Amino acid sequence: MASVRSTITKLSIVVVAMYGFSYALVPIYDTFCEITGLNGKTNDVAYTGNDIKKENRFVKIKFISNVANSAPLYFEPAVTEMTVQVGKPYNTHYVMKNNSSKQLHTTASPSVTPGKYAEYFKKIECFCFNQQTINSGEIKDLGIQFVVDDDLPTNIGDIVLSYTMFDITNNVMESSKL
Amino acid sequence: MNRLSILLIIMMSSVSSFADWEVNMPRGVSPTANAAYDLHMLIFYITVVIGIIVFGVMFYSIFHHRKSKGAKPASFHESTTVEIIWTVIPFVILVGMAVPATKTLIMMEDTRDSEITLKVTGYQWMWKYDYVEDNVSFFSKLDNKSNEARQLGSKIDVNKVDNYLLNVDNEVVLPTDTKVRILLTASDVIHAWWVPEITGKKDAIPGYINELWVDIKKPGVYRGQCTELCGKDHGFMPIVVRAVPRQEYVKWVSLNQKNRVADKSE
Amino acid sequence: MSTNIDHIKEEHHHQPSGLMRWITTTNHKDIGSLYLWFSLLMFFIGGFMALIIRAELFQPGLQLVVPGFFNQMTTMHALIMIFGALMPAFVGLANWQLPMMIGAPDMALPRLNNWSFWILPFAFAMLISTLFFESGGPAAGWTLYPPLSLQGGNSMPFVIFSLHLLGASSILGAINVIATILNMRAPGMTLMKMPIFVWTWLITAFLLIAAMPVLAGAITMLLTDRFYGTSFFTAAGGGDPVLFQHIFWFFGHPEVYILILPAFGIISTIIPAFSRKKLFGYDSMVYATASIALLSFIVWAHHMFTVGMPLAGEIFFMFTTMLIAVPTGVKVFNWVATMWKGSMTFETPMLFSLAFIILFTIGGFSGLMLAITPADFQYHDTYFVVAHFHYVLVPGAIFAVIAAVYYWLPKWTGKMYNETLGKVHFWMTTVFVNITFFPMHFVGLAGMPRRIPDYAVQFTDFNMIASVGAFGFGLSQLLFVYILFQTLRQPVTAADKSWEGAEGLEWTLPSPAPYHSFDTPPKVD
Repeated sequence: MASVRSTITKLSIVVVAMYGFSYALVPIYDTFCEITGLNGKTNDVAYTGNDIKKENRFVKIKFISNVANSAPLYFEPAVTEMTVQVGKPYNTHYVMKNNSSKQLHTTASPSVTPGKYAEYFKKIECFCFNQQTINSGEIKDLGIQFVVDDDLPTNIGDIVLSYTMFDITNNVMESSKL
Repeated sequence: MNRLSILLIIMMSSVSSFADWEVNMPRGVSPTANAAYDLHMLIFYITVVIGIIVFGVMFYSIFHHRKSKGAKPASFHESTTVEIIWTVIPFVILVGMAVPATKTLIMMEDTRDSEITLKVTGYQWMWKYDYVEDNVSFFSKLDNKSNEARQLGSKIDVNKVDNYLLNVDNEVVLPTDTKVRILLTASDVIHAWWVPEITGKKDAIPGYINELWVDIKKPGVYRGQCTELCGKDHGFMPIVVRAVPRQEYVKWVSLNQKNRVADKSE
Repeated sequence: MSTNIDHIKEEHHHQPSGLMRWITTTNHKDIGSLYLWFSLLMFFIGGFMALIIRAELFQPGLQLVVPGFFNQMTTMHALIMIFGALMPAFVGLANWQLPMMIGAPDMALPRLNNWSFWILPFAFAMLISTLFFESGGPAAGWTLYPPLSLQGGNSMPFVIFSLHLLGASSILGAINVIATILNMRAPGMTLMKMPIFVWTWLITAFLLIAAMPVLAGAITMLLTDRFYGTSFFTAAGGGDPVLFQHIFWFFGHPEVYILILPAFGIISTIIPAFSRKKLFGYDSMVYATASIALLSFIVWAHHMFTVGMPLAGEIFFMFTTMLIAVPTGVKVFNWVATMWKGSMTFETPMLFSLAFIILFTIGGFSGLMLAITPADFQYHDTYFVVAHFHYVLVPGAIFAVIAAVYYWLPKWTGKMYNETLGKVHFWMTTVFVNITFFPMHFVGLAGMPRRIPDYAVQFTDFNMIASVGAFGFGLSQLLFVYILFQTLRQPVTAADKSWEGAEGLEWTLPSPAPYHSFDTPPKVD
């Protein structure tokens, strides 16, 4: 019977380990996304390096926007297309307007396509790093400063940068109540 | 068996005149859809040949090696040579399938050199289309006739509704012989955009962007549907693409363009 | 050892009778029967839901149910058939057969065995009760993809809790199976001498242990996303809905093989018995099963080719998926080689097994087609996929269970079923299963998406045929129930070795098999 007990112990360890593994998949997936550009996730903390060199080539970037769950927001890029020099920092902004009658809290999630080029799109500053608070009727300019990495492969076509704006007022209210 | 054939005859005779007996994937009108069709047929024929061989041997055995025919069981029960052969042969066939499949996949994922960008956004339960360069934007949902007919207990004969469940109020218009990049996202839950004759499907995921490309070679109207379960009216958010020659498309765009600034004050 | 067995015997002589006997039983045969009856009940409940689906889809337009309820039916049909009908059926067969096949008196952990069964009725009562909630049952599909599943009504936490219970039950069952097989084999029965059914169940049990906790993790994350403000799967908080699909299918693909590997074991037992010839390539069968199990952990993303993976990912998952065809092909070839130059007879278990080989192979062919990523962009989430997985699960897994019941019924009860009725059951089932599912290939290729309550009129004909087939299939299974009850009313007449060509330790026991299978371990050489 001792051998049965040791089998049970070993198997229970496997069960617990596999349960843990399902949670470990979350960071593993994030790392995997970073490496492969899965889903076009971009850096979510500001790029502060200075190892990007200016190169004499250009790439076209298209800016698009979405509002999640039909929230009462106007959210559009100020400029829909920019031809940028690789390695040179640029500024642009999105415009957001609160069309509702109350103050809203929002957050934006970025996505780059083709996803495999997401890692070369470096944001020095971005409104998507922080949550926004916007009053009823207020119009806000939301700025981005970015640079395209000189490691970007050549002959890649256009890059599309998309931001989806989420209204998270309910979540913010709930957590402030706690 | 007899009862079954009677049943089948009854069913076939009651079939409505609208229906057809389409049993295969439609041939496409774009390079990607055609490539998918060709691969589909290639793999299908390969499996048919394998099936005929394997089932042929099996049925031969069933008919000839039965006890009622006095068959005595042989005693062999292993042969390394034979087993190596039937591991290696399927492997070789698979490699033969993988090569064209990979080539097609690489072609499908290459969205470079697109002339037009169409952004498609899934909503519960309709689509929004934005022509990114041309400043045209509209929603597209199930047309009213289908929508009335589809209600439980509507008493409307759906066979008499024009393109029942496959018709929309606002069609997507795209130019022919033009590489169009389609960007997909969603507002609420995951949807999937699919027009079989033009392109395979891809998911529209809230917060993220997916892309595919089409290059329609033949003018016409092409219909499709949402193909990712997105809630109660998942079955009721069709897609209609009207492909027109380039000049006609340009005219359509100029008629439908709107002022972006006006939009802001909405 | 012998004192130990006497002690067990004694314990069972004082067992309660009536209902309490079944609630407190720790006997592998009692628990096996409970699992099998429970599975049959769930098969009919899930089947009833399938008939609601097929009735609504008989013609275009909505005639019977609203779309929201239709979605609840497709979701519940899947959950009940997978977790309620198929998995318990295989666990029931394992309970009955494993101790007899390896020469043991009972399972290694009898009390655990009792618990793992009695969790099930409570879990399913909770799951099914959600249908009567005001906000309805789960309607986001059995795959529970967020964000849709996060929108669901009050049913969601109940569904997740019942899935946790079902997972726990399966894990306990799997631990018991492994502990039994590794520790309680008769002297002389080395691993490579075990009956093939025991082998496939051993591998299945390892799959369960590795996969079920991952499902538990995935649905717990869903629960905390919905109620505790985490955002594993919502983009607003930096999460990703696609991550759920990865975790879910990391469980989901091994789950598919959990449903089919024991079926392979059954077919590999029955084909040699009625061919009167040893199984061809026993060793390669074991290796093929093991490699299918290992491959199942690196193919999951083929369920989600359309989510927009990087090219390299799509190619990787396409290749690994195609690779599964190799060991699966080896299995089919080995079965055919077993029949080759055998001396075959065609009793009901054999008929179901032969139909399994043909129809499962057809499901395998459509699986191979689905593996081809560029073509899958067309097939994905259409009725072609529905046809594919029903071909591998109905004439695949369910046929194997039915074959096993006919094959071992005389051993379990000492009574022989009516062979003529068995054959009628077989032919009706096989004809109707094809009428139901074969047309689904056609409508799928012609462009009909799955999980829709209503469809465009050009899909009408084949949907009508499928619906007629489904009702025919359902009615045929009432005949199965009749055959079972008729058999139970027979006097005990079955021989110890009920089939001329049957091999294995279970046939050395009397029919019906004694309460404790092997009091003294048999000798295996």
